[in-house]
Amino acid sequence: MRAFASSLAARTMLVLLLGIGAVHLLSLWTYRHALDREAATADVTRLADRLLTIRRAVMRVAPSEREAVAHDLSGGPIDVHWSRSEHAVAGGPGSGELAGLAVRLGTLGDDLAPGDVVVGANRGHHDDPHLAVVSLALPDRTWINFSLVEQASRHEDGHGTLLSTSLMALGAMVLSILLVRWLTRPLLGFVDAARRIYRGGETVVVPEDGPTEIRTLAVAFNEMQRRIKRMIDDRTQALAAVSHDLRTPITRLRLRLGEVESAATRGAISGDLDEMERMIDQTLAYLAGDRDDEPVKPVDVAAILATLVDDQIDAGRDVILDGDHGAVVEGRRLGLKRAFANLLDNAVKYGGRAEIRVAAEAGGVTVTIADHGPGIPAADRARVLDPFVRLEPSRNRDTGGWGLGLAIARRIVESHGGTLDLADNTPTGLLVRVWLPVTRGEPRPS
Amino acid sequence: METLGHDILLVDDDGEIRRLVSKLLRDEGHRVTTAANAPEMREALRHRTPDLVLLDVMLPGTDGLSLCRELRAGSALPIIMLTAKGDDLDRILGLEMGADDYLAKPFHPRELLARIRAVLRRARPSEGNAKTGREIRFAGWRLDTARRELSDPRGVVIDLSTGEYDLLLTFLETPQRVLSRELLLDATRNRDAEPFDRAIDVQVSRLRRKLETAGEVIKTVRGAGYLFVPDVERT
Repeated sequence: MRAFASSLAARTMLVLLLGIGAVHLLSLWTYRHALDREAATADVTRLADRLLTIRRAVMRVAPSEREAVAHDLSGGPIDVHWSRSEHAVAGGPGSGELAGLAVRLGTLGDDLAPGDVVVGANRGHHDDPHLAVVSLALPDRTWINFSLVEQASRHEDGHGTLLSTSLMALGAMVLSILLVRWLTRPLLGFVDAARRIYRGGETVVVPEDGPTEIRTLAVAFNEMQRRIKRMIDDRTQALAAVSHDLRTPITRLRLRLGEVESAATRGAISGDLDEMERMIDQTLAYLAGDRDDEPVKPVDVAAILATLVDDQIDAGRDVILDGDHGAVVEGRRLGLKRAFANLLDNAVKYGGRAEIRVAAEAGGVTVTIADHGPGIPAADRARVLDPFVRLEPSRNRDTGGWGLGLAIARRIVESHGGTLDLADNTPTGLLVRVWLPVTRGEPRPS
Repeated sequence: METLGHDILLVDDDGEIRRLVSKLLRDEGHRVTTAANAPEMREALRHRTPDLVLLDVMLPGTDGLSLCRELRAGSALPIIMLTAKGDDLDRILGLEMGADDYLAKPFHPRELLARIRAVLRRARPSEGNAKTGREIRFAGWRLDTARRELSDPRGVVIDLSTGEYDLLLTFLETPQRVLSRELLLDATRNRDAEPFDRAIDVQVSRLRRKLETAGEVIKTVRGAGYLFVPDVERT
């Protein structure tokens, strides 16, 4: 039921169909019932008339010919015999149904005395088609016996009922589909809006029209959006302002370092300041998000990686770069540099040693960054790409940062129309695979 | 070489930054005048014309960018913009306003000194020829000094490290002349470079790799240094 009628449209249709169907069947039954009653009354009258007519006809002829005439007048559901005594015995199974006939005969036959009419149900076997025997006395106390054969019952027109019901259902369905479409169309607007809200940091205004309920919902929905946007914007601004304002005190601290006597202390403080600066950079980069105004140009990814790898080597890290020169994609140089810098930093931080491969293929560039650290369990891989998530404790030892590195990298890669996947490196470690399309719209080859 | 000292005007609204940067610059042998805002800067300029202005972008009242434009309208005075904003747009904007360079806070003191040195070095030869454009061309390649961005003849952007950029810029300023390792080292020394001769060889080989498709543009002159071969054109 859930799956069958899970949509509002299906449920509305179901309700309409069941309702209309029930009303239809009920009225059909009532109509049929009344019709049957009418028909039954008419039948009894007609039958009584006929019996009386036959009686009159038989009455007029001589007794010797009565049986022959009776026979001639037999036909259809009525078998007529003339005899000296009555064949019918009052009562018997089903005699109640024939009571109406007896009454009718009494009313219509003026010359019939109460004892002249005997209506009896058939005494014979059940498979006897004779339904009943009616005996009517003639004035000379001979009897006419009518055997009533079961009439080929007026067929209940089953097909007609089915057809009319089906047509009705079909009509109801078509009508309800149109109706429901009309009713639920404004809801699709909400779905569309909800999917797009805050993708690029802006609200999506739902038109405030349609039926009252929908209009009220739209107004509330738009209001909610505005509130959410205000809240997010406030917090984003607060975070950005704090991060931003921290730069001046950090600058002062850096300048003051010159006044510190001990070289060891100077080095330690300088390291702390570097870390703070990195965190601020990462936070601001994350907050800036897609609102990146760096122009898109053809960029050599291999050259970016070369710069980054050289920096790591200068810092005494064991990093190897291998692969194609001139792996060109359309992108933002500084954005891509930041993404790959984050991935490389992670690799050397957790893996100690890192191997980077770059391969230019038709349609795109694949970069893999492999380390030999503890890796990331498959279950945590999706989570670790979210902002502010850091895994405990193996990948979190004495490391700075906000847990934003991977989130920023992924966001940048995805804003270029690319993909970033995490996998196992063999024998141990993490393998980060980045694919970037040559041009933004390029589909990824399967 | 640069130890003679220069007159530097520092414009920043943060008192501590003014004090600390002044001390840093004086320790380097420079003479420093400070100003906290636009009126103070104008006042200081009336008394004497400095060799270089360090200008903070975020100033109360008239902001640094307007001041930069104002300064540039009257003279070719070298200007380095200081700002707390690290994003590229502001840098470009500052440079289009006429600044010679840009440094984002929080900066390393040594990087500030290196930038001052570089800007002063570049400013000297250009005293004769008027301030030129921000684009340098060689062998079909382009160096956009505003964006610090190198593109190959196809227009593909080739990323350069700070060291490689400074080195290339030095070559482009004095093409077709043998430059000694000492000179190159001095020109490209930034906060992280080790003071070894070999370091310049490493930098040159890295720069050559980035310029690979241009052919042999940097020639090794045995026992003397390096030479930048192609013609250079400033636009």
